[in-house]
Amino acid sequence: MTALLAPLAAQADHVSLTAQTRIIAAALAILFMVWILDLIRRDRLQERYSVVWFVAGLAMLAGAAFPGLLKFVADLMGVRDTNVALFSIVLLLLLGLALNFSVIMSRQAAQITRLAQERAIERAREQAAREALEKQLDGDAGSKRAEG
Amino acid sequence: MRTLVFIPAWNEEASVDAVIADVRAHLPGADILVVDDGSTDTTTARAQAAGVLVATLPFNQGLGAALQTGYLWALRQGYDFCAHLDADGQHPAAEVARLLTEVREDRADLVIGSRYAAQAEPLPGAEPEGEDYKATLSRRIGINVFRFILTLATRQRFTDTTSGMRAANRRVMKLFSESYSPDFAEIESLQLAVREGLRVEEVPVRMLERTGGSSFLTPLRSAFFIFKGLIVILVGLFKPRRAEAER
Repeated sequence: MTALLAPLAAQADHVSLTAQTRIIAAALAILFMVWILDLIRRDRLQERYSVVWFVAGLAMLAGAAFPGLLKFVADLMGVRDTNVALFSIVLLLLLGLALNFSVIMSRQAAQITRLAQERAIERAREQAAREALEKQLDGDAGSKRAEG
Repeated sequence: MRTLVFIPAWNEEASVDAVIADVRAHLPGADILVVDDGSTDTTTARAQAAGVLVATLPFNQGLGAALQTGYLWALRQGYDFCAHLDADGQHPAAEVARLLTEVREDRADLVIGSRYAAQAEPLPGAEPEGEDYKATLSRRIGINVFRFILTLATRQRFTDTTSGMRAANRRVMKLFSESYSPDFAEIESLQLAVREGLRVEEVPVRMLERTGGSSFLTPLRSAFFIFKGLIVILVGLFKPRRAEAER
């Protein structure tokens, strides 16, 4: 694996990434992943929604460590400029994520609606039970008056 | 044979009493349920004071969700037939009674009250009072677009695709309590019912000008409404058919 990646790391010069950019990108990626772990730890983010973000962080780290990867992907896409390739990939990923959120939102909206409907039905049932009870109590009081 | 009439209401304190009284007068054998779609006014209190059961949604969920609540209630309480009408006083209960006759006599599973189908003579003694309903131009355009597309999609002619006056039997209750689009209740439900092989029929009815409030449709909203409707119908064409409900 390392033998495979070593030439990719060496290609940094061809991808116009300076050592400084790579260090900053790697640091940001690590910070990002720590942040996500912290959010999970404090119950602010559920594990199932964190996976995609963690993968994004790892991809960022990989890109910083092995700039050749970027070059490789850009070649695959047939894009000469690696920056354009990078932006396109990020844009597509964000688009996918946004769509994913819409799907989750739709599911939750449907669940909320059903919950509200069940609650409404419960309320009507409570009202029916209360009215039946009041009627019964009134009836008992009436019959007692009649006896007395 | 038990019948439920449910009335979806959202901030209709001005008219809900009158509608309940109207339903009682013309459908004496039916139980009434008001579905309060998270009103911020006294709709629930007024309906309860009028002596009917009220299913109050904890927050506003839209007409589709309110209607589905009614269908759910009808299904779970074991009603044989149900009908619904608007709470704003546009729908005379006498006309709802005619829709119910159609499902009771098993001529259809779902019956829609249509403002635009060829006019029938009102039953003697049941002429509703008030101004007859007249559609505005933008509404007429929208109606015609939907009419055309829904006819294409269902291969059945519908004149009033957005009518909120309907009567149904248990087959429809089962279908609608499971699946009812919150966004596009009227049109998608029609398409769904036809696709599932239910008999859907239109009956011409008289509707009145609303007594209070105003239509929620502005030109921009109408355009959005139409656009959304088109998507709903298009997507509906490709939705998988669910397993045939127990007949």
